[in-house]
Amino acid sequence: MTLPSSSSTSVGGGSRGPSKSIAPRSSGGTTPRQRKAPATGGARKAAGSSAGMWRFYTEDSPGIKVGPVPVLVMSLIFIASVFVLHIWGKYKRG
Amino acid sequence: MAIRFLEFVKPFCVLLPEIAKPDRKIQFREKVLWTAITLFVFLICCQIPLFGIVSSDSADPFYWIRVILASNRGTLMELGISPIVTSSLIMQLLAGAKIIEVGDTPKDRALFNGAQKLFGMVITVSQAVVYVMTGMYGDPADIGAGVCLLIIIQLFVAGIVVLLLDELLQKGYGLGSGISLFIATNICETIVWKAFSPATVNTGRGTEFEGAVIALFHLLATRQDKVRGLREAFYRQNLPNLMNLLATILVFGIVIYFQGFRVDLPIKSARYRGQQTSYPIKLFYTSNIPIILQSALVSNLYMISQMLANKFSGNFFVNLLGVWADVGGGGPARSYPIGGLCYYFSPPETLGHILEDPIHAMLYIVFMLGSCAFFSKTWIDVSGSSAKDVAKQLKEQQMVMRGHREKSMIKELNRYIPTAAAFGGLCIGALSVLADFLGAIGSGTGILLAVTIIYQYFEYFVKEQTEMGGMSTLLF
Repeated sequence: MTLPSSSSTSVGGGSRGPSKSIAPRSSGGTTPRQRKAPATGGARKAAGSSAGMWRFYTEDSPGIKVGPVPVLVMSLIFIASVFVLHIWGKYKRG
Repeated sequence: MAIRFLEFVKPFCVLLPEIAKPDRKIQFREKVLWTAITLFVFLICCQIPLFGIVSSDSADPFYWIRVILASNRGTLMELGISPIVTSSLIMQLLAGAKIIEVGDTPKDRALFNGAQKLFGMVITVSQAVVYVMTGMYGDPADIGAGVCLLIIIQLFVAGIVVLLLDELLQKGYGLGSGISLFIATNICETIVWKAFSPATVNTGRGTEFEGAVIALFHLLATRQDKVRGLREAFYRQNLPNLMNLLATILVFGIVIYFQGFRVDLPIKSARYRGQQTSYPIKLFYTSNIPIILQSALVSNLYMISQMLANKFSGNFFVNLLGVWADVGGGGPARSYPIGGLCYYFSPPETLGHILEDPIHAMLYIVFMLGSCAFFSKTWIDVSGSSAKDVAKQLKEQQMVMRGHREKSMIKELNRYIPTAAAFGGLCIGALSVLADFLGAIGSGTGILLAVTIIYQYFEYFVKEQTEMGGMSTLLF
């Protein structure tokens, strides 16, 4: 059996939206090696869309831009503060 | 009016946090790392109890919806992804019904995204307020106003964290989307917990371990009669047993096997001679969408019915919708439907139950298969993956089907796509029913969601692998 995933279309993944595109099967299966066509340039973008089943669009919305690291730090701070709250609550009661 | 709505939310959108798009190509290893970190944060949030709750022992009205919303009772993830899902569902319905008109410009789409996020936050706050005020964590008067506010703030910040983590993955720092990752994680966690949980439960016959595998060893070690001990480990009621675990594994296998079923349509490039490729139409064309829609529908029905049953129990129409009873047993406290429409939409609990009430089982099968096929077929039109859309995409990429013009290409695609969608939906429904009948852990719906999502991730991995060389060079 050829690996089913050598097909790189994202349609079956419940994807939607205009960014979908079809790329030729990459040379993993039984098909012979193909030339990479310029037309497949959009394929990279489609990869992410198969799981994003609730999004129509991929455009950035306006807003305060933050990087991934601040988000991580923020969530860790949040978790830590809930911890502190729990500890504080224990002390107050006891 | 239409454009004005987006204009109206514009000033608020500017204030929303937004993950910046990566300015370079993120390496696969880094993506895996970010996905792992996201998952880690989510798992921690799933375990930390909310500060200030007095009790959360009452029958859980949201038990049925928790699977698809990745939410954990009484923890920071109480709301899970429900605000995100609800807001996008509503916004997209509104956009689909042309109540909010979204233009075709990138700016409009961006605004629509922002509005969706803003709406998600509003929903988070309102859900948090409703949860606290209806006394889910104990009487608000007992908790006190300050702590009530604290709970709401915790839920709100947790909501924002989930939203940002989801966006982080979607913007290309990680793999897939946060939503599907969290759903799959939640279900897998349940399965692993049910299999290996070291928690003990006091049943009538003495203490037993909750986890099926642990219980096997425990029963074999402690019971005098080994054969009876073995039988008990396989067939015990109320607690997860080995049969449930085996059924889960079986369903996993079947779904993965079916994932490979597809029809390859040969297509070729119109511009470059000799470049041929194939366009695969999978059996599971719409993947897990029918199951998600179906369970969203049923869970909402359950919720409404349960609320009505609490308020006006005894009313004829309310009873027609569903009669509920609390069942304790080994699992978490929850209500089961024991009559009415909801009863017939709910899976039979055990194989023995099918024999007791065959009408229930029959109606359930018919309902599951029918609704899944219907949702699957509707979905291809809504999501833009119908034959016409696919033909358009192929044309945009200058691909044509061998031996077909554009008109006949649509006809050719139409031969396969609606059939694949309807039949695939039917299969998904059937598998879900099968899983439920076998008593697989984490409900049939849950397992199907988990498997299809995991399979999508598997596809990412294989794709990366074929693009960049061996798997070993990536991971090690």
